[in-house]
Amino acid sequence: MTPVKTITRLMIFTLVSSVTTSIVNAQLVTAADSALIERVAALEKQVADIKPAESHFMVVGLATFGYVSSTSKYKPPSGPHQIIKTNSFPDADRYEFSPMLLWRHGTKWLLEFEPSYTGGNLEVNWADLSYYAAPGLIIRGGYFVLPFGIYNRRLAAGWINKLAPDPEGIDLPGTDFGIEVSGGLPLGNMKWSYAVSLTNGLQLLPDGELQTAGVTDNNTKKTVCGRLGLLPFSNSSLEIGISGLYGGTGDADSRFSKANSTMYGVDLNYVKTFTPILINVKGQYNRSTTDNQQYIKPTDSTLYTFDNKSSSAFAQISIRPVSAESNLVKNLELAFRYVNFKTPENSNWGQKYNEEDIGLDYWLSWRSVLKFTYAWTHSTSTANVSAGGIPGTTDTNNLYLQFSIQL
Amino acid sequence: MKMYKIKKNTLVMVAGLSILLVVLINSCVESRKVAEKTGAQLWAENCQRCHNTPFANSFSHEQWITIGMHMQTRAQLTDKERDKIISFLNQ
Repeated sequence: MTPVKTITRLMIFTLVSSVTTSIVNAQLVTAADSALIERVAALEKQVADIKPAESHFMVVGLATFGYVSSTSKYKPPSGPHQIIKTNSFPDADRYEFSPMLLWRHGTKWLLEFEPSYTGGNLEVNWADLSYYAAPGLIIRGGYFVLPFGIYNRRLAAGWINKLAPDPEGIDLPGTDFGIEVSGGLPLGNMKWSYAVSLTNGLQLLPDGELQTAGVTDNNTKKTVCGRLGLLPFSNSSLEIGISGLYGGTGDADSRFSKANSTMYGVDLNYVKTFTPILINVKGQYNRSTTDNQQYIKPTDSTLYTFDNKSSSAFAQISIRPVSAESNLVKNLELAFRYVNFKTPENSNWGQKYNEEDIGLDYWLSWRSVLKFTYAWTHSTSTANVSAGGIPGTTDTNNLYLQFSIQL
Repeated sequence: MKMYKIKKNTLVMVAGLSILLVVLINSCVESRKVAEKTGAQLWAENCQRCHNTPFANSFSHEQWITIGMHMQTRAQLTDKERDKIISFLNQ
């Protein structure tokens, strides 16, 4: 073979090799580009899904599930006592599934809607629209928890409440239809808050009890309700609040048409860490009064009257060793609560009720908790027997096991 | 159709209270000590007033803005507190 032929063959081989390598490389780059483009497209889609937009919709909520074992002993004024034992998985106070829908437009409008399956019924906890008008001024309309005290608005959710049951008698004035203005404002080193609502109001029942009137008002009078809160320390550890409510409660064109009811309340909230323990103190006192009225005895339809005043209160303390080294220990919380509830003497629903609850909670996360609560309740009837009231005393011991989670 | 008349005194009272509210809101200022608080401090101080302090990774950026607005109606946070806490949780 001549050198020229050899060189020619080498050149041809080199050329063919280069072309082949280039083709293979070109195919590899194309495949890599294609994968990259697909990845970029996927990322762009993800970004598009979460990029800031004027409207935002989300679902949160809570679920609470529990078990209660109860022993109740009723002692009539004379005769043998009766003992009733029950145990149950979900009942009215211990089961709740409440998804909450939050829908906002920008940072000015917020719609809150919370349907709730509780006690075997489907209800609505709140359905309202808030407009953030200016710093320290939120205007709200719809069906909302009234600004009275702290329990109903802030502490009633199962994953927040340290003890399984709700304190007796604190539920009023509850939720109502109307409008509200509220806000939180600085005050030097302190802070204060206000909330005032105008709503349909409460309804006076034939036996003198009060309940929420509902979407159709029972009279033409509206009810004013409000709360003023003060946080005197710069670290917001203490909050003191006063609340008031006034409005006509009697049904229009009924014997109660001129009846008015007044409520006032005070509340306290103190949360502070004294290393290694977090101390949490909460309390509320409510008092309600309805004008003197003539009520009808259900037994013989004659008229009778009583001083229609009720009061309810709770005081609660809980401690949690948040700085403990052991995870098991720092997730435990010990809670105690005292409850006192008095309904009008000589009404057919009069009673003096008190309750002590002690509970040990285990926090599975910041928003899920397993609770063990033991409660002793004592109720003495102050009811008017001739009006159908039931005399005697009732002592009840309840053991609750409850799991609650915020979703 | 039944007509409802609003009494003059009621109108004067509502107007007076509205003016008082506007004056009160505009005259409320925070001290330097409070103004210098960080979002982390406010998160630690305010959330635990009702419940355990939440972790930042519990919700997304947009969700925290919505939740901040919801919590403002419950805990009656000031606007600055709400904004600082949300910024901290979104870091």
